[in-house]
Amino acid sequence: MVDQTRREFLKLGLAAAASAVTASAIEIPMFGSQNSSMQTQLNNANTQVANLKNRVNTIVGFISLNITEQSLLEKIVETIIPTDADPGAKEAGVIYFIDRALAGDYGQSANMFMDGPHILPRIPASTTAPLSINPTLSWATNPYIPGASTSPISYIGGSVVTPGSGTQGITATPRVGSGINYQYPLNMREFWRIGLDALQKYAKDPNGAYKGPFESLSSTNQLTLLQDLWGDKPTSFNNIRPSDFAYELTFMTWAGFLMDPIYGGNQNMVGWTYTGFNGVNFGNFYGEGKDQKALMVATTPTRLKPASLAQYQQQASGSA
Amino acid sequence: MPTTITETPADVVILGVGYMSGVIAAELSDPLLNNGKAYSVVAITKGPYWDYVNDFSTTKYDEWGVGLGRKYDSPLPLQSTTIRNTPYQFALPVRRYTMPIQYHALGHGVGGAAQHYGGTMGRQGPWGYQMLSQTNTRYPGTIDTINPHNDLQDWPLQYYQYEPYYVQWENAHGLCGNYNGSTDNPGSDSSGYPWMSQNYRLPPHPLTPAAQLFQSTVQSAPFNYHPFPHVNALASQPYVNQYGVPVNPCVYDGYCGGLCDYACETGAKANAAYRTIPAAMKNGNFTLVVNSFIFRLDTDPTSGLVTAARYYDPQGNVHIQQGKVFFNGMWGYNMIRIMLLSGVGAPYVWKSDPTMVSGTVGRGMTNGYSPYRGTNVSGTLSNIGGNAYPAGNAGGGSVDIYDLMDDNFDHKNLGFIGGSQIGVGGYPGGGPGNITFAGGVSSASMGGTFKATQKDKYLQTKTVLSSTPFAPDLPTTDNYVDLDPHYTDIYGDPLARLTYDWTPNMYVGATYLATKVKDIFTAMGASNVTVSNTVLPGAVHNDWWGHHLRGGCRIGTDPTWSVWDKWNQCWSPTVKTPFNIFGAGEITNTSGDTVPSGTHVAGPQSYRAAEGIKQYLGLMTPGLVP
Repeated sequence: MVDQTRREFLKLGLAAAASAVTASAIEIPMFGSQNSSMQTQLNNANTQVANLKNRVNTIVGFISLNITEQSLLEKIVETIIPTDADPGAKEAGVIYFIDRALAGDYGQSANMFMDGPHILPRIPASTTAPLSINPTLSWATNPYIPGASTSPISYIGGSVVTPGSGTQGITATPRVGSGINYQYPLNMREFWRIGLDALQKYAKDPNGAYKGPFESLSSTNQLTLLQDLWGDKPTSFNNIRPSDFAYELTFMTWAGFLMDPIYGGNQNMVGWTYTGFNGVNFGNFYGEGKDQKALMVATTPTRLKPASLAQYQQQASGSA
Repeated sequence: MPTTITETPADVVILGVGYMSGVIAAELSDPLLNNGKAYSVVAITKGPYWDYVNDFSTTKYDEWGVGLGRKYDSPLPLQSTTIRNTPYQFALPVRRYTMPIQYHALGHGVGGAAQHYGGTMGRQGPWGYQMLSQTNTRYPGTIDTINPHNDLQDWPLQYYQYEPYYVQWENAHGLCGNYNGSTDNPGSDSSGYPWMSQNYRLPPHPLTPAAQLFQSTVQSAPFNYHPFPHVNALASQPYVNQYGVPVNPCVYDGYCGGLCDYACETGAKANAAYRTIPAAMKNGNFTLVVNSFIFRLDTDPTSGLVTAARYYDPQGNVHIQQGKVFFNGMWGYNMIRIMLLSGVGAPYVWKSDPTMVSGTVGRGMTNGYSPYRGTNVSGTLSNIGGNAYPAGNAGGGSVDIYDLMDDNFDHKNLGFIGGSQIGVGGYPGGGPGNITFAGGVSSASMGGTFKATQKDKYLQTKTVLSSTPFAPDLPTTDNYVDLDPHYTDIYGDPLARLTYDWTPNMYVGATYLATKVKDIFTAMGASNVTVSNTVLPGAVHNDWWGHHLRGGCRIGTDPTWSVWDKWNQCWSPTVKTPFNIFGAGEITNTSGDTVPSGTHVAGPQSYRAAEGIKQYLGLMTPGLVP
């Protein structure tokens, strides 16, 4: 409880500093009026705190997504996890999670193997002209690139291709999202830039099914459009496979809803409250007195108020 | 300017610091275990030293950082792996860690891959050591039909010869269990399979309600199986091993499986960093070299012996570590790769005609783990709920049977050999990523309807049973590891290339075993018992390699197909044999059934190799230990 109070103070301090720069829109009244009752003063203070909290949210800001991407992605994540009687992607701040991920290791593909040659899977095999690969030209064999060469290129060192089998990687269609599925010569930030742009183009396509910006579509059409991507319906998609992008959108949205708040999403642990997950409350974080070993073999569930990694670390460091 | 630095020569040089290497380090560095000889031992790992108390205890409750950011894992930009199904294909590199977990380049640092395994253990029975001869005796003339391009072989030793080493391994790592059967459970004692001269050192973890139901069901008619508590290397009580290393017990915090990737902050889960390396460190003549990437073994052109290991330090300097004897304890294909890069041993050369193949290093690789999204049997117990979150992992809390594996049932005309250990009732474990999206997302994972399915997902009012039985993958001449012709690691050396597809024994067996599991689930009173089997030729998803590669660098009875002999000592069929290198790990396992743990099967080999190295150091001239 002490910690929460301290964080509250820090937030207020931050907001006050910001307001000093922008305008004098926020003023913290002194408890000066001797005529006001304490209750009125308290109410006033609470209102001010609520206002400040709103203000805090408006100054979070973005560090990777540009204005166009923000408005589009906001609607996409809210389509994937809509707000109903319970909080959704919006309340969890999923877009902030994605924004920060794109600015960090995920966006930079810092932990990915990015060396060439880059050869896309799922290139159809041909029994008459065995597919072969020239690493320097392989990108051009992407079937999703309009006008890409369809004539096979020789792969030096390749040998006979068994009719009907795949010619590279694995015989089966790689599962979307698998480690060998992503073979693009792009880091994730570029992939998202290209993907979001392609998605919007697909939505706006005057000859397409939607004919308008994604943000303007009905919620039903928004969901249907995302389903189109999963089904690889768009025939033109900035040279990436639509389902590959749909995978990243869906995966990262759920991650933003359910991963620890330190990464910018799952704000106020709304995702954990919704799923009934305990976070790092192992039964006694708030003094509930539950024994983890007993919970483990129980036949009925016990709801625990979640705790976050930051709370845990503060407690562990002895500041509680 | 990076320079070349020659280190002080050592008696024993250990390559990689995982489970097996820890045993070698502890056994060779202690004068009391070596007739008073204080051998100098140097162990080299590409990763850091993990101080689990400080590194994990306050940072591991973080599914994103551990599971997706892979903050404890081997960086893929350092080295990756390429994979394909057939020798006719172009192998694609693994470019990213994704969920479901990719265990490529899994381990990093002291403790190796064991930092990120669940802790499941379980001995391999006598049949697993003699699969070829047992099959030829009992089902003569069938193996080549069951396993086209068959390369199945017997081990150089039998189970009873490994049994004493099993005991040493189990003592060192503090395994939990109650024989493979329990005194509370008289039916299983009559089985006693596989036979054990000593019980596991610690009692099993508390059984979950689902496990108890499974136990009572299968030990009754019509099954009359022999259930026993799941065996694992996850301390259920405080413990001190034979080297005097103290062990903390499991705290059941639940951040184990899935995205949490099994990083253990108490050290309850065994690995070298918490069991054997601390013992070696106490001995004074042991040197641990971290953050150093071994890229070559030097050999003597006249004798063929290995003379030194070369490694890069983080600044790019080249270090030369000479030694009398070397132990290759690298994980998986890294063990193969360093030998291929250095010309140590005979590289495997694939031919479409199985009689024309040659070489041993890289040959006979199999997958010892379940085909992801392969065979699955599921059902729902509506009368047992509980918390999805608390957990000791490693299948702790579950109950197993061995009745459907090895040759414990008649295989006549079944079209496969072996079978699967079946277990039910493990703690679910893992965080929300694990349950909601870590298994991969699809078009169905969007919108309000799907969102509703996730509400209170962790507060379970019923239990979903799930089992993925399959018969063992068998070695063929077509599944192997070699060097990739296109892709390199960060230093410019070729990556390991895996050529692999499921073998028929796996999916033919899976079909049969799934019906057996279905019967069990139905008898337990589960509803909606469903069987799916999508493990078919060419349907392999190579992104799920499992972390249980078995074979590829096998021990054996004959140097024409095995890299290592009965002492886990190198015996290549070339004229110049590098006698002074030994190796052990899951990939030196010659063959095996779908046992709970390939690691447990590899463990005794590390003690065997330690004994072999001690004898080798006493030889007058280099040669095979008799």
